[in-house]
Amino acid sequence: MTASTLTRDPAAPAAHRPGRRVRRRRENLAGYVFLSPWLLGLLGITAVPMLISLYLSFTDYSPLISLGDASWVGFDNYRRMFTADQSYWHAVTVTITFALVAVPLKLAAALGVAMLLNRTMRGISVFRGLFYLPSLLGGSVALAIVWVSMFNREGAFNSFLALFGIEGLPWVNDPDWALYTLILLAVWQFGAPMVIFLAGLKQVPSELYEAASVDGASPWRKFVHITLPMLSPVIFFNLVLETINGFQGFTSAFVLSNGTGGPVDSTLMYTLNLYIKGFVELDMGYASAMAWVFLLVIGAITVVLFSTGRFWVHYSDNEER
Amino acid sequence: MEPNPRAGTPAQRTTRRRLLAAALTVPLLLGGAAACGDDDSSSGGKTELSIFWWGAEKRAELTDQALALYTQKHPDVTFKKTWQGNQGYFDKLATLTAGGNAPDIFQIDDNYISEYAGRGVTLDLTPYTQNGKLDVSKFPESLRKYGEVDGKLAGVAMGENTQGLVYNKTLLEKFKLPEPKTGMSWEEFIDWAANVTKVSKLPGTQDASAVYQALWVYLRQNGKDLYSGKQLGFDEADMTKWFTLWKDARAKGATPTPDVIHEGNASDVSKQLIVTGKAGTSWVWTNQMPELKKNTEDELGLMAYPGDSKVQWARASLYFSAFRGSKNKDVAVDVINFLANDPDAAKILGTDRGLPPNTDIRAQIAASVTDPNMKQTIAVQDELGKQFGPNPPTVPPQGHSKVRSELVRVAEEVVYGRQTPEQAAAAYVSAAKAAIGAS
Repeated sequence: MTASTLTRDPAAPAAHRPGRRVRRRRENLAGYVFLSPWLLGLLGITAVPMLISLYLSFTDYSPLISLGDASWVGFDNYRRMFTADQSYWHAVTVTITFALVAVPLKLAAALGVAMLLNRTMRGISVFRGLFYLPSLLGGSVALAIVWVSMFNREGAFNSFLALFGIEGLPWVNDPDWALYTLILLAVWQFGAPMVIFLAGLKQVPSELYEAASVDGASPWRKFVHITLPMLSPVIFFNLVLETINGFQGFTSAFVLSNGTGGPVDSTLMYTLNLYIKGFVELDMGYASAMAWVFLLVIGAITVVLFSTGRFWVHYSDNEER
Repeated sequence: MEPNPRAGTPAQRTTRRRLLAAALTVPLLLGGAAACGDDDSSSGGKTELSIFWWGAEKRAELTDQALALYTQKHPDVTFKKTWQGNQGYFDKLATLTAGGNAPDIFQIDDNYISEYAGRGVTLDLTPYTQNGKLDVSKFPESLRKYGEVDGKLAGVAMGENTQGLVYNKTLLEKFKLPEPKTGMSWEEFIDWAANVTKVSKLPGTQDASAVYQALWVYLRQNGKDLYSGKQLGFDEADMTKWFTLWKDARAKGATPTPDVIHEGNASDVSKQLIVTGKAGTSWVWTNQMPELKKNTEDELGLMAYPGDSKVQWARASLYFSAFRGSKNKDVAVDVINFLANDPDAAKILGTDRGLPPNTDIRAQIAASVTDPNMKQTIAVQDELGKQFGPNPPTVPPQGHSKVRSELVRVAEEVVYGRQTPEQAAAAYVSAAKAAIGAS
């Protein structure tokens, strides 16, 4: 279908005619024309603003002045971030805590439910749909608002605890617990990785399980020695995506804390801190520097994940070779 | 279907490619043309002014009517009105400004006016007051001054308010408790609140340690101030006293639990503990009374903050400013002048933004107003206004909003028992200094 498959068509008698290069160029042009909406978007909405923000990160730019009036401050923003700004490091700690706790829990929940749903029975697709539903609501503001009212002192969760005679805490307004209510919200939205796990589980050849059953393997051994290795590429994919997602958590923290990161900065996620610096304190140069450090760190974490992948991710097609 | 590369004559293919190119360029050209079209707002003798404010629906209604009155008197001038709730308003304004599209007229408050004026976004209105295009002569002097940043008039106050302590009258009557008295000391007030808690089982008062305007009053009563020019007007010892005062109040049971205090520290009127029914008093601004009343069935009382109320001042609750880059500066200033000084416009606007800044008009409105909550606001503010002492504070410097948010954070560290008043005081002084760029 694409231009390259067409020109490689061995049956084409035109392949050795002089017109070939002209045609290829024309076809390439057509390809670019079809790509252009996306290319323009990439350049205009992503690449150019990113480069401008890189420039801004070396200036004291504020949205209230024009770009040209921003003065060059060299590495001052970066220096301040690493040496002088306590809230920066606090936000880094909060974000890492969030990602370290939320990502493994979410993946475990997704895998667990995927395994439960990986069977043939009546109405299974309804269950799959229901479990996926929370993820459709995604980063929605409404969901975060509901979450806050559920985990208030007077919230539904505490009413539930009261049935067992337990007096609950004001979870969302307690600096020791507020972040964990956000983590719970993130874990609850396990639908996307679940669907991917489900697809992965369907690819595991059933002969492997049958052979293991013949050898008398327990369900746990089958899980550890068949399911996990066979699923490792999918686990890896989900791990990378969810880690990146986890670091970028914003909406729920913003809603829970009214945009402040409170109580006492306990939900000050990196992106929320960045937003406050840029749009509330109007320190856009500094916020740009924060954004670039964030990009580099997430990039580095992804590279590290990929390099560890060699040791635990098994691609079946590699082994066949 | 497999497309055949040899289908069609070369001419046809060219046409198709041209079509594609045209299909892509046309929207771009149209986009460009539309962008150029923005400049034509004043063609043919017509002027369209953009105006942007925050507020509730009621304010939008009143402002709409007042602007319609202007258009009626000046048929050449129409308005592009935009309004929204307070949350997110300043994000939007900053984004518009960054794009060079700030509205011709915009509402602003003392949180940000120095920021916008200091960076040259607002039009300097001083020349207009001198050539008679803008009349601020009927404004109380302190109110006019409160719009000056670095000696330039950056905004015209659209309302006056002052600190107000609002208390739940219904609750006090129900338990036969005495009302708080103007002029009682902070300690007396806290004892009063502790007694309310004891009798009614409802916390007597919201903890004010994170309320910047309460701290401000307290500092002024102690001969200090929040700011002294572009420096802080207080030191660690003052902050230690402040945080200790409220730590003791919590120990006496005068205030709610930390999580409830945290809830009440949100800036929304609807989340104030007095209206959510979680405390007997809240720390507000006098013009917020009608909005507070809307959120509760209980009857509310209003008075000055504890201590000597002479240190309170006539504060501009908010301003209208004109954009320095506006293409219709003179018209924009005329509209602001109209909204502030025209008796008919003022009658429409009422006290929604605070007491009318023009004192002549204020007297007229006070005589004709019927809303009991508005009446209460006017009565209390008038009573207090008579006693306001000399040397009102000037408008807060750049970084004021950060000074406020840091106070909430640090005060809550003490409220949640994570820091001692001494630690918090040291942390706050250094954070506030950094926020305003003071030495």
